[in-house]
Amino acid sequence: MIALVRMRLAGFVRSGRALAPIILGLVVLGVIYGGGSSLAGPAFGYSAALLFPVLAWQTKLILDAEPDVQRRLARLTVGAGREAAAGVLAALVSGLAFCFVAMLAPWPFGAIRGPLPGTAEPSMATGVALGVLAHLLALAAALGLGASASRAVTRKVRNGLTVLIVGAVLTVVLGLKGSVAPWLVPPVMATARALNADPLPPSGTFLLLTAWAAAWCAVALGGYGWLRRRRS
Amino acid sequence: MRFDQIWFRYARRAPWTLEAVDAAVHPGETIVVLGRNGAGKSTLLQLAAGVLRPTRGAVRDRPRVIGWVPERFPADQPFTAGQYLTRMAAVRGLRGVAEVDHWVERLMLTEHVHTRLAELSKGTAQKVGLAQALLVTPGLLVLDEPWEGLDAVARTLIPEIVAEVTAAGGAVLVSDHRGEIAGLAGAIRWTVADATVRPETAGLIHPQSAGPARLESAGPVPDEVVVEVAVRRAEAEAAVAKLQADGHRVLGVRESAGVVGPGGAWDGALGEAAGVREPSGEGWER
Repeated sequence: MIALVRMRLAGFVRSGRALAPIILGLVVLGVIYGGGSSLAGPAFGYSAALLFPVLAWQTKLILDAEPDVQRRLARLTVGAGREAAAGVLAALVSGLAFCFVAMLAPWPFGAIRGPLPGTAEPSMATGVALGVLAHLLALAAALGLGASASRAVTRKVRNGLTVLIVGAVLTVVLGLKGSVAPWLVPPVMATARALNADPLPPSGTFLLLTAWAAAWCAVALGGYGWLRRRRS
Repeated sequence: MRFDQIWFRYARRAPWTLEAVDAAVHPGETIVVLGRNGAGKSTLLQLAAGVLRPTRGAVRDRPRVIGWVPERFPADQPFTAGQYLTRMAAVRGLRGVAEVDHWVERLMLTEHVHTRLAELSKGTAQKVGLAQALLVTPGLLVLDEPWEGLDAVARTLIPEIVAEVTAAGGAVLVSDHRGEIAGLAGAIRWTVADATVRPETAGLIHPQSAGPARLESAGPVPDEVVVEVAVRRAEAEAAVAKLQADGHRVLGVRESAGVVGPGGAWDGALGEAAGVREPSGEGWER
């Protein structure tokens, strides 16, 4: 399966499909970190929330990069489950690399700072740790959304784009404070709010957000796996 | 491997492509799947390979290693032929490139190893597709129109490869609408038509075990015309098979020009050589 993951990542990069989300992601990071500096936690919270749709798009691009017939050849070779998992794993690896870049991005520009002296602001280490968590939660949600929008399950380009765009918009709209059904979408906005809160919420809140994101991702990827089995 | 009451359609309300297919493929067998365009040959082959899942029924006892050569090789990939085969070998769990080198050489791909897949000719891309299916000796080799685009030299390799796979205990399913089946000695014929699969024991291409197929009766059929075709003697068998695969009725095989059918001539020796035997249908005269 690792060989298949490597083949898909190589195909994604060599085909040039990787460029568009990278450029968009860098633009987003440039906007976030382009002016002044802020505490690490809130900065990384914004970064994770804004990169969520980019990561979902990247996931879809990776899963769609391979021609359908080649995907079937891969399925015959490694089995249906491993073939589907290899695509998600390739997207995970690519997303982790993206998140790594996003975590490094503010440093050269001095765009994040530690607590001001004499204040109760969280430390730089806490902010960075929460930033890593926020990006991982955004990535988990993006994997679920991107996989659900992939051609292998939506079949048509129009359907795939609709799932991706509607999913991203609903994540923002239903994730707003006071939403009637925030649990319907991954906790991308809730995580960003938690990182911006002053003072920071208790650690139990972040555990809850992690469980929420994991559950959402599991449901989305479970649906992806089920549809892949049905739509062979 | 067994097709156990296979029903298949591509969408919920679509007509059935295949209905209640019951058939078996045994180790060492070569099955040639014949039928008109759109009859369901590729569907049957993809069900056999496991690319498609039956809507109803099941394919049982499918071998563990499947080699599938799709009708159209997916050439829209950013790899050279060599890179692609090396990566597919790795996906199949092979270490090193010995198998890749073997099939590159055997299929005369050496000069194309560094060519991007998208730039390969159709026939060369088809060879790459064939090579990837053979990197590990398959228990079931599924060839969907493998002759498409291949040059004459490469076409002769198909029967060789099929023989090697069956000799190793594998089974081969191959679809053919070009009448190339003549080169596959000992093959069994399945005809796909009207959403059913009809395994035929009297195969055109299996004279040593099943005897030649009967010619069609030459009795009058509405909306038919008789078209006379001249072919080279050596290609007679393939031509007959192709015509029958395309759903045409072959009325006779003879040496000289003239009208065939009621009152026409029948050349027994030629007919046997072409794998068909004299018709007994009404309207034929000697």
